[in-house]
Amino acid sequence: MKPVYIFSTIALTSLVILLTAPYLGLSTTLDSELASHILMQIRIPRALLAFIVGAGLAVCGLVFQAMFHNPLATPFTLGVASGASLGAALAVFFGLSFSFFGIDSASLLAFIGALTTISFVYGLSRFGNGFSPEVLLLTGVAVSFFFTSLILLTQYLSDIADSFKILRWLMGSLSIVGYDDIWRLLPIVTLVIGLVCFFRRELNLLTAGDEIALSRGVAVKKVRYLLFFSTSICIGAIVALCGPIGFVGMMVPHICRLLIGQDHRWLIPASCLFGGGFLILCDAVARSAIAPAEIPVGVITTLLGGPFFLWLLIRSRTHNS
Amino acid sequence: MLCTHHLTVEFAQKKRLDDINLQLEPHDYLCIIGPNGAGKSTLLKTLMGIVSPSSGNIIIADSPLEQLSQRQLARHLSYVAQSHNQHLNFTVAEFIKMGRYPHHGVFSSWETADQTAFDNAVALTQTEAFLSRQIPTLSGGECQRVMIAAALCQQTPFLLLDEPTSFLDPRHQVKVHQLIQNLNQQHQVGIIEVTHDINHAVQHSQQILALKSGKAIWTGQATDFLASPHLSEELYDQHFVLTKHPETGQQIALPSEQGYSR
Repeated sequence: MKPVYIFSTIALTSLVILLTAPYLGLSTTLDSELASHILMQIRIPRALLAFIVGAGLAVCGLVFQAMFHNPLATPFTLGVASGASLGAALAVFFGLSFSFFGIDSASLLAFIGALTTISFVYGLSRFGNGFSPEVLLLTGVAVSFFFTSLILLTQYLSDIADSFKILRWLMGSLSIVGYDDIWRLLPIVTLVIGLVCFFRRELNLLTAGDEIALSRGVAVKKVRYLLFFSTSICIGAIVALCGPIGFVGMMVPHICRLLIGQDHRWLIPASCLFGGGFLILCDAVARSAIAPAEIPVGVITTLLGGPFFLWLLIRSRTHNS
Repeated sequence: MLCTHHLTVEFAQKKRLDDINLQLEPHDYLCIIGPNGAGKSTLLKTLMGIVSPSSGNIIIADSPLEQLSQRQLARHLSYVAQSHNQHLNFTVAEFIKMGRYPHHGVFSSWETADQTAFDNAVALTQTEAFLSRQIPTLSGGECQRVMIAAALCQQTPFLLLDEPTSFLDPRHQVKVHQLIQNLNQQHQVGIIEVTHDINHAVQHSQQILALKSGKAIWTGQATDFLASPHLSEELYDQHFVLTKHPETGQQIALPSEQGYSR
């Protein structure tokens, strides 16, 4: 099938999800004023946030996979998420409760944690043979494990209430009220996705390998620095606000690649829309499956996405052979 | 014009290339020969900006290499690597079209000049028949032609080829040799080719550069190479017998069954 048809299908589906999700499970017995308040102040912002976060995670994951020629490379594998989580855990542990331009202390520390981790991983990988993807990935994984242990330690030393707060943060959540957080996150995510779109040709060549990219004229190192830092900042901002929502960044680009092929001119917008729609769907399931209680959305993304991904993988293997 | 002055490349405390001096015009055809690990591939990669030189200069069309952006460099040189990533999930057409990258800005679209370059590259390499196929489904010979087509799409005055026929059967070897010959003679593309085949180098190229342990031990007209009888033995640490090609009468070297002892 032509990419344009597949893309249109993805775009249409995401749009339908975006438009219908806020109404899902909205009780009709409530009086109209309360219902419209819930819709405008809770449901719509939440769907929008899910869309932005999903789109950002998917596109950043796509960039990492292309840059490092590794299907498992995501900003999460490179320790950005664990750095952010450690920041948030420390904020809870030390009982910090200040706010800075309306951003609460946990988010702020998470963002600082994410940026510190990127700089640290990047700095470490500079030793030896420069900016090699393998070294960077391994450094990221090592740092990730180290920080995970520190998070566990922080949790162990906390009292029950704080420990639960940390755990809840680690599971990821999209519950917001009002639009302030959206206005903070939207510019960063839009800017980074826009930047990634500029680099669609370079990303195509990078998937073909560094040597081919260089001989076609891509300044591989420069492009990689730029994309590495900008996507990491984007991920840092997302994780700081919503916690580490796993799997979207790794899985959505893969699914899109299986559906639409390797060309980033289609792959970037497709991942963006698919990621957005997918996360709204996951969030809708998360809040309605055992209503009135809520399942952490991170749990749902993995539960829904994992089997679907496996099915797609097996299907494409049997189709090819 | 492509020149190197005292080009030296060092990594892991070892000199891979030592004081290499070259001068090539866009109609030249240079073959680089030498034993494994002599630095042949390193030389091509250094020219292409994949490996950085530790000292010496590379001058391309009057500009030093370090002053050229990678994109500018890719308008002068194109490169076909030795082994290919068979997992390139692109169609042949998509992949060849990516060769136009150095001629494009962020906002530019596919224009007539691009289409002409693409059509020429496809016609020269005879890849029309499998344009819509996925690269992993190609045979070795087809794949090599696609790689050359993608490099030709760059429309550069020089083409660097790293052992372009090593993994091909005799029929496809001859086809690729003819293609390179044709590019050089009919289309004035400067060729720098790394090869293990002394006879191919002597028969088809104009100049030969013999590398051993990173040093240029001989450079000159291709036809003169076999005239100095001990040259190939010194180069490869291996005895050769010289004989005449029964068909063309040209002198050829065959590795001797006797080993080699200094």
